[in-house]
Amino acid sequence: MGVLQDILRTLSLPEFYFAMFRSATPVLLTTLGAMVASRAGTNNIALEGTMLISAFVGVVVSAFTQSALIGFLGAVFAGFVVSNILAYFVLKLNSNSVISGIALNTFASGGTIFVLYLVTGEKGASTSLPSLTLPSVTIPFVKDIPVIGAVLSGHHILTYAGLILVAVIWYMFKYTRLGMHIRAVGESPDAAESVGIPVKRVKYIALSISGVLTGMAGAFLSMGYVGLFSSGMTAGRGYIALATQAIAAGNAVVGMLASLLFGFCQSMANYLQSSPIPLQFIQLMPYLIIVIAYTIYCFMVEQRRKKKQLQAAGKKKG
Amino acid sequence: MKKKVLTGAVVMAMAASMLFGCSGSSSSGTTTAAGETAGEEAAGGDAAEETQGEESTGEKVKIALLVTGSFGDKAFNDSAQAGMERLMNEMGDQVEVQMIEMGNDKTKFEGSMLDASESDADIIITGLWDMKEITEQVAQEFPEKRYIIFDTDVDYSLGDLSNVYSMSYKQNECAFLAGVLAASLTTSDVEYANDDAVIGFVGARDTAVVINDSAVGYIQGAQFVNPDIKVMVSYVGSYVDSATAKELALTQYSSGADCVFVAAGPASVGVIEAAAESQRYVIGVDSDQALAYEGQEEANYIVSSAIKNVGDSLVDAVKKDLAGELPYGEYQVLGLEDGVVGLADNEIYQSIVPEEIQQAVNDAKDKIISGEIEVNTAYGMDEATLNEIIDSAQ
Repeated sequence: MGVLQDILRTLSLPEFYFAMFRSATPVLLTTLGAMVASRAGTNNIALEGTMLISAFVGVVVSAFTQSALIGFLGAVFAGFVVSNILAYFVLKLNSNSVISGIALNTFASGGTIFVLYLVTGEKGASTSLPSLTLPSVTIPFVKDIPVIGAVLSGHHILTYAGLILVAVIWYMFKYTRLGMHIRAVGESPDAAESVGIPVKRVKYIALSISGVLTGMAGAFLSMGYVGLFSSGMTAGRGYIALATQAIAAGNAVVGMLASLLFGFCQSMANYLQSSPIPLQFIQLMPYLIIVIAYTIYCFMVEQRRKKKQLQAAGKKKG
Repeated sequence: MKKKVLTGAVVMAMAASMLFGCSGSSSSGTTTAAGETAGEEAAGGDAAEETQGEESTGEKVKIALLVTGSFGDKAFNDSAQAGMERLMNEMGDQVEVQMIEMGNDKTKFEGSMLDASESDADIIITGLWDMKEITEQVAQEFPEKRYIIFDTDVDYSLGDLSNVYSMSYKQNECAFLAGVLAASLTTSDVEYANDDAVIGFVGARDTAVVINDSAVGYIQGAQFVNPDIKVMVSYVGSYVDSATAKELALTQYSSGADCVFVAAGPASVGVIEAAAESQRYVIGVDSDQALAYEGQEEANYIVSSAIKNVGDSLVDAVKKDLAGELPYGEYQVLGLEDGVVGLADNEIYQSIVPEEIQQAVNDAKDKIISGEIEVNTAYGMDEATLNEIIDSAQ
């Protein structure tokens, strides 16, 4: 009973929903990145490493230029570069995308620590670097609405950017030439090539977009969520994004919902830590729910497919 | 041609990632003879350079320090490194030290340990819970080597471990003092304290006994001051996820906690940021964490740190070894009375903490040393008792 009360009390707190958006942001941006790459037919496993490198570059660049904006651009550019390295491996040298991705992730975890050491003489965190953070935004009018204002206003600028990008990506896939090319290349590269779509170029572009989005997620981690870089700070968020991306199956809006579901579970886990539920269960909850959600989703897709098949078979008979 | 250059670059990048990604194990196979590879110099930093300065005479006791993770953690590893440097300065004619960073990849720990045991090192020093089982196995294979393991016990019933000296620290004692400090601050009228008697604890993993030991001591210390105090207890579930650590701390601060004790290794920086953002107090852990933030705004919120002076304890152990007095085959727990744990007493502490609270902390310290207060420990404690203690402060 006490547990239920704890959950209900948590659900009534505006701060809880605020924290949900905050926890979801890095996963949301990375999910969008994973989605663009995967729709073009390349699995971007290197998200984790890309995010880590971007987080690091953002901190270093902002510390040396003393400009948060340039730091952010640096982070995004780093994401762009790393994804292009992956693209070069995969598209030009025809290497396996999973293996190249893992190599980049390993490189990122060691490389960031190494450069951090060269720059600061430390290997744990960039506490001695005077890095800057990107601002939070209060939305006029909305902030004055009780409860909703507390939930929706005052977020980090990249949280809003992430939500806007959901619409942008959705629109891109649905209505733009580039979006359709990406989809075509992902569905059937041969068919796309036969109608004159430059397959490799489209894939390069898709991976670049993926890198830029993931770079933003990295910038959010080190220039917003936390105001410094600490080694290994992505802590698996890039892999979570692969799961949420799989649930989304190419739909940006579903991707957003899956990311918010993850954020919801994560902050619920944070709030329930003082409840009598075993801690281990609370900590695995976000991941468990993502797995369950994915299972349900796959089940539904399968059902729909079977139904269609049956209908088709029925039509044939008729 | 272009392709060749690029292939070359790729190969270089891969080699670099091998070298730096696992800096520890790649250097672990090598010895400390002068004229090492440039790679180790880069990875091992000052430590490696200093070691190379030593010419082997064959007489010296060779010590190998293997740390999990890397130096620069502003905590255990740095403390251990400082201890080794002190050893080299003080007794450079008797000892030769090699320091190895094993990185974060646990699968490489055992290999590094075997490499070190197969080298000509006489004493192998390592630490932390991750190394416990590995030491238990490897030490039996190399009975002629001597092993010192810090911050964990080993199970001496597993076999002949008469060559292993294990020591850990009574973090429960310094955590007790942290609890006294936090519980006194929360109801005092210092600048950033609120009226509620609510304080917090953010630990790394609930499966690590060291962390729980801190939690148990902290709660007991807080209840010693105020039996009705509420202590929020949260665990990050990781030592590196600074964002989640921050999130947890923000949750605690927004739920009324005004002083949080953090024991989360490198992820602790997240909690310190949360403190600065929420304008509340934080008590650091392992080393004086305010030093890392010197001159920055965050430092003003780090009221103190529960320090474990690993370096000093290692220096003592090695000195005892050289004198033939170190009790190998035994497990010792060092505490306040040995002077290896305590609260950081720096300018910030002096300026924030009112005199009477400083006095209360000192009194508690004296009482622990005299044995008047016995601090609970999570070592050997079963899960139910632990939960009971945590629940008692809800």
